[in-house]
Amino acid sequence: MSNWERLVWNQRGVLLQGLAVTVEVCLIAFAVAIVGGLTLCLIRMHVRPLRPVAIVLIEFFRATPIFVQLMWVTYVWPELFGWPNSFFTAGWLALGLQSSGYLAETFRAGIEGIARGHREAGYALGMPPLLVFRRIVMPQTLLTVAPSIVNQFTVIVKSSTLISVITVQDLMFQAMKLVNVWYEPIEILTVTAALYILFVFLVSTAGKLLADRLRRRYGLAAA
Amino acid sequence: MDATPAIRVVDLRKSFGTLEVLKGVSFDVDRGSVVSMIGASGSGKSTLLRCINFLETPSGGEVYIDGEPMGFRTDATGQRRLQPLSEINRMRRDLGMVFQQFNLWPHMTVLGNVIEAPMRVRGMNRKRAAALGEECLARVHLSEKAREYPARLSGGQQQRVAIARALAMQPKAMLFDEPTSSLDPELTDEVLAVMRELAGDGTTMIVVTHEMGFARDASDRVLFLHNGLIEEEGPPEQVFGAPRSERCRQFLSKHLQ
Repeated sequence: MSNWERLVWNQRGVLLQGLAVTVEVCLIAFAVAIVGGLTLCLIRMHVRPLRPVAIVLIEFFRATPIFVQLMWVTYVWPELFGWPNSFFTAGWLALGLQSSGYLAETFRAGIEGIARGHREAGYALGMPPLLVFRRIVMPQTLLTVAPSIVNQFTVIVKSSTLISVITVQDLMFQAMKLVNVWYEPIEILTVTAALYILFVFLVSTAGKLLADRLRRRYGLAAA
Repeated sequence: MDATPAIRVVDLRKSFGTLEVLKGVSFDVDRGSVVSMIGASGSGKSTLLRCINFLETPSGGEVYIDGEPMGFRTDATGQRRLQPLSEINRMRRDLGMVFQQFNLWPHMTVLGNVIEAPMRVRGMNRKRAAALGEECLARVHLSEKAREYPARLSGGQQQRVAIARALAMQPKAMLFDEPTSSLDPELTDEVLAVMRELAGDGTTMIVVTHEMGFARDASDRVLFLHNGLIEEEGPPEQVFGAPRSERCRQFLSKHLQ
């Protein structure tokens, strides 16, 4: 029996279980990042009294290392706020918050890049600001920043390996568990790396294809 | 016939900080008539147009659309109060605006651009809005482009779509803000032709323009603005043929060469 069969194929259930947890954490973190990023961005741009708060949060999320933030959310938040109450939650929360800081700035750049005239054309037709934002500003912003959003998702996937440190049983955690059982890292870690590459590659390729297709269709990028 | 002007502007003023752009402008636009506004860059033409539909809030003066005051109400104590945005929006529907830069929404088809406001502001269902949209596109001779995206159209075609988009709200008057200034000369004519047709159909129009030919042939009245004031006004024959103001004469001699 080769090492590949013994260490990888026969352990595929464990590794795939880990992969499933990784995918789950990343998807939740991504959703948090998008909602959080957009919220922070809109507060920063349009809610004057809360603007300093948004700026501080954005800068804090962007400027602290993900590992520090993970520890902070895992061990400080429960003391301060009584939540999160599981390592799993702390994992996606820390990943999501960090990316929300980056996405807030991405969204802001996108929104500020929309020509003022596009909004004015809406106002001139009697459209209220919220409608203009929803129908004119946001779709164009999403199209423009789509590549950055996809990129941010790949950052989340790669950062997610750190949550194994707080015992969330993701792919990295399961891989290290196997390594520690057999003391044979070559095959297990190589396959783990390959699985991450595959995941990131699939996500970024699918995202890029979709974004390019939409952008070409609307004439926002060179065909 | 009701003699209330479609648009009445009374002593309109606008300052940006300490810069006074409009210093008290008054004029009427009768229903079905075309008023062209000419003047050098910085004379306040575009600001005046944008104050009429409150894309800029005037610093003073009044605008009436069909006799109804726009934007401000005077309360019982005689104080001028800015109306809520919802009220301004309701009146904006009656003023179609066409911009120098077209400002079509690139993520919507041509028809999508045209029917967006009728559906979401006027509350029309898609079928009725689409029928109306097709009709408006036919008026600007672009029926065959309904399913295209704006990026695939020439500048002249884009501007005609923008005209159709404004028409689809069935406004009481159309405001044109230098509609041909960002077009190549060969594309200018197709836009001006559509505007002449609208004028011929009895559309009430205010046109800020550098196209002296259009101002002379297609308008009922011409206003010459200088330094935030109307320096000369009258029928085109008078303003172009025998201007009383020296500045207007100079401006025209430069632009009619």
